[in-house]
Amino acid sequence: MELYELNLWMLIEGLKAGKFTPSEIFTSCKKRIDQCEENIHAFITRTDDNPQPGSNPDGIFSGIPTVLKDNLCTTGIRTTAASKILGNWKPPYDATAWKYLKDAGAVLMGKVNMDEFAMGNTCGNSAFGPTHNPNDISRVPGGSSGGSAAAVSAGYVPFSLGSDTGGSIRQPASFCGVYGLKPTYGMVSRYGLISYGSSLDQIGPFARTIRDLQLVMSVIARHDPMDSSCFREKNPDFTHHEDVSLKGKRVALVKEFQDFTLDAPISKAMNRTCSVLEAEGAVLTEVSLPVVARYAVACYYALAMSEAHTNLERYDGVRLGYTVKDAAGVKEMFEAVRSYGFGSEVKSRIIAGTCLTEPSRCDEYYVAATKVRTLIAQEFARAFGEADFILQPVTPSLPGKIGEVDEDEMKGYETDLYTLPVNLAGLPGLSFFTGYSGELPVGLQLIGPRWSDPALLDAGTVLERQLGSPRIANGGVK
Amino acid sequence: MPELTFTPVIGIEIHIRLKTDTKIFCSCSTNPNDPPNTNICPVCMGLPGSLPRLNHTVVEKGMLAGMALNCTVQPRSLFFRKSYFYPDLPKGYQISQCDLPVVADGYIEVHDAEGRLKKIRVNHLHLEEDAAAMHHSASDGRLEGASTSYVDYNRAGMPLGEIVSEPDISSAQEAVEYAMNLQRRVRYAGASDADLDKGMMRFDANVSLKCSDGRWGRKVEVKNMNSFRALERAIEYEIKRQKKILLSGGEVLQETRHWNDAKGVTTASRVKEFYRKFIVEPDLPPLVVGQEWIDKVTAMMPEMPDVKANRYVKDMNIPREVAEVLTDDKNLAAYFEACVSAGANPVRAANWVRTEVLRVLNERGQKIADFTVRPEVLAGLVGRVDDGKLSTTQGKEVFDYMCANGAGLDDAVRALGITEGGIAGNALADIIASVITANPDVLEEIRSGKDKKGKKLKFLQGLVMKETKGQAKPQEVAEAVAEAVK
Repeated sequence: MELYELNLWMLIEGLKAGKFTPSEIFTSCKKRIDQCEENIHAFITRTDDNPQPGSNPDGIFSGIPTVLKDNLCTTGIRTTAASKILGNWKPPYDATAWKYLKDAGAVLMGKVNMDEFAMGNTCGNSAFGPTHNPNDISRVPGGSSGGSAAAVSAGYVPFSLGSDTGGSIRQPASFCGVYGLKPTYGMVSRYGLISYGSSLDQIGPFARTIRDLQLVMSVIARHDPMDSSCFREKNPDFTHHEDVSLKGKRVALVKEFQDFTLDAPISKAMNRTCSVLEAEGAVLTEVSLPVVARYAVACYYALAMSEAHTNLERYDGVRLGYTVKDAAGVKEMFEAVRSYGFGSEVKSRIIAGTCLTEPSRCDEYYVAATKVRTLIAQEFARAFGEADFILQPVTPSLPGKIGEVDEDEMKGYETDLYTLPVNLAGLPGLSFFTGYSGELPVGLQLIGPRWSDPALLDAGTVLERQLGSPRIANGGVK
Repeated sequence: MPELTFTPVIGIEIHIRLKTDTKIFCSCSTNPNDPPNTNICPVCMGLPGSLPRLNHTVVEKGMLAGMALNCTVQPRSLFFRKSYFYPDLPKGYQISQCDLPVVADGYIEVHDAEGRLKKIRVNHLHLEEDAAAMHHSASDGRLEGASTSYVDYNRAGMPLGEIVSEPDISSAQEAVEYAMNLQRRVRYAGASDADLDKGMMRFDANVSLKCSDGRWGRKVEVKNMNSFRALERAIEYEIKRQKKILLSGGEVLQETRHWNDAKGVTTASRVKEFYRKFIVEPDLPPLVVGQEWIDKVTAMMPEMPDVKANRYVKDMNIPREVAEVLTDDKNLAAYFEACVSAGANPVRAANWVRTEVLRVLNERGQKIADFTVRPEVLAGLVGRVDDGKLSTTQGKEVFDYMCANGAGLDDAVRALGITEGGIAGNALADIIASVITANPDVLEEIRSGKDKKGKKLKFLQGLVMKETKGQAKPQEVAEAVAEAVK
């Protein structure tokens, strides 16, 4: 067995026991990257030729390689958000989540691909070209954190960080066959995460076991004074419990979702997971989320685009990134920079956001959406009075072929129905592995009330025990 | 046909720089004297991924300013993003409380044309960040047509309070009094230094005219007034301009106009107003101010100038006009009160501060904070004059000497060769003896009875007074000399 195949907790224990050295891990992972990267194209910027050593040799992640979604700021290392507009920008500061990892000794192998400014669910809207699914390189890895999911799935690194605004961790985790956690809004500091929809964005980890997710969360889920939305009285406990049980826990399905069609592998996975839960002593139940089912998608896009278009106003070529030197005037410079720098998906969301908040329409769309959002949060709060967790798909289908999904944009938006409401209500959502359908992994989603992230991961431990852990994808290597 | 009359309807928006050591959303220094682009960080530069975090001292200063304007603190307020594209705005939007402010519903008083007190309602004060400062190479100092423009981000993120009045102001004079009163009150509250020359206080005026025939001109926003005088002139100009249009049957356009101080005119803004839209700032939670915090800030509020002046009049018998001069500046009032605390008679101390202290400060272009004569020293001087140890003239000489040389009271008296309490008794007798000895012929004339009109005696008395440098009482000298020549 190669070292790159080991999970995070195994690497930590092996290092502690002196079974191997950090440089052996590094070499093994680098070799694996060299082997597959041509097929997968997960990286935007590789730093493994000039590895950035973690700052703490005694840290819990000392010598552990990782990659970051390229919307997380890294001091002195190009950070692009997969956009041309950021040019060759090298941030003068670290995202807090990365700083915490670095302080724990993690080693950065590079910055990985995503949909531009996290807008998309295929990892195909990138100025640096698409990333391929390591399980089947003709298919998309999902998005927007496709690079982060693919890197863990292919065995580049034992864990990675991504961000989730409407499903951008959970959907690629499910497509690539890894675990992905979208934490409660405010659980992980957003400082240094290039914003898409600020009230929806949340940083979270990818890994190949639940226990690994817990290890990462124990490092990154800490209070940060730099993020006003990251506030808590005390940090949660993400200790791994092997003997955890779901006995007596109420796990609900959403009544309104039962009418929607799911592809066969997904509905099969739902049935199988329900049986496993019952066998584990959980009580299956049903909750009703009528507002979510009817309005969540519209509400989400109204809010996300409204926030996004203001978040993207700062890219004007004045202070950083791509700029135009010979424009006739400042207005012309703004136009030239933004016309060239943004991709078409980003432009359409900026236009939509501008229209949605335009003074004459603002009440009808943006303000109305903020009210619907309150109703959605209340609806979930009520549901979690009747259930401990909600089980639902991540997406209704398995990953499509690269290029295929983009054809019907509206369908792309609708497939997000299972993931977006979680962001609207600020809930934690776990994307977990259930098995394979042919070569392709099938994931599902477990949602808990706000701040229930540790309990959600405990439930994930039970599911992993019963459903099995994913294997490392072949990465297009025969 | 009756002659048409016009009533000006004026509202003023005043930005004040709130007095804090650090910016509103980061910990960069607010020192206005630092070199350009040295007080900057990812947050105030709006770098991707950076997030604002609210400086609570800014909130307190905003509350203090609001309380100084008789506003009520709002238990819950919000921040918004106010979007427009301009190189001075790092994020492409300004974070501002807009219309859900931290304090609201206040008023301050001004005098109307008849001299009666009139309340000008303050709609609210909201907190916001300043934009960067821009310097353009164009001759008119504007971005358009400039070949080079420089941006100084030191100013980006400086804390501002925007104070919005109701349109209760009816003349340029009322507007100026409103602005001056507001400046005095926020300075008193310690909320802002509000120095106009340093750009810490900026005005925008909304001017419209109501015509007696029922027509109402549209609102014109006038910007770019950098002094009280400019505020007054700009409003006066705008009233005249709009009156002329309405008299000729024309229509006043709703627009933004710039005051050109050199030419004394307002001109239509060449740039169309930026199209603005607001969304809730998702990076900042609602600002919740609990009663405990309100109580704490209330306890920090000093006595306001009008209350203070009333107290001086009522409790200290100080004339109102003097009381108003003393309370115009918080530090001057504090100086005066320190004099009184050190034992000076309040009425006398008030006169000394108002005439002598202010005279010296004006001559030197100094502020009271820089004044070298400590209040307890001035109190000692006032006491000695009151006790008759020094004459009023001597007192002023001593005061001037202390101001000029930084000397203490006793040193000044000694240096000026003043004998406190005057020259009398043996000292006076010695002087008289030496004067008489030096003038034997005069003495002879008097004693011989030739000095019928007493001229010679007066001559000797004059010499003695001169020798005492005016420090003896004339009556005593007259009697003593008359006695000595017998």
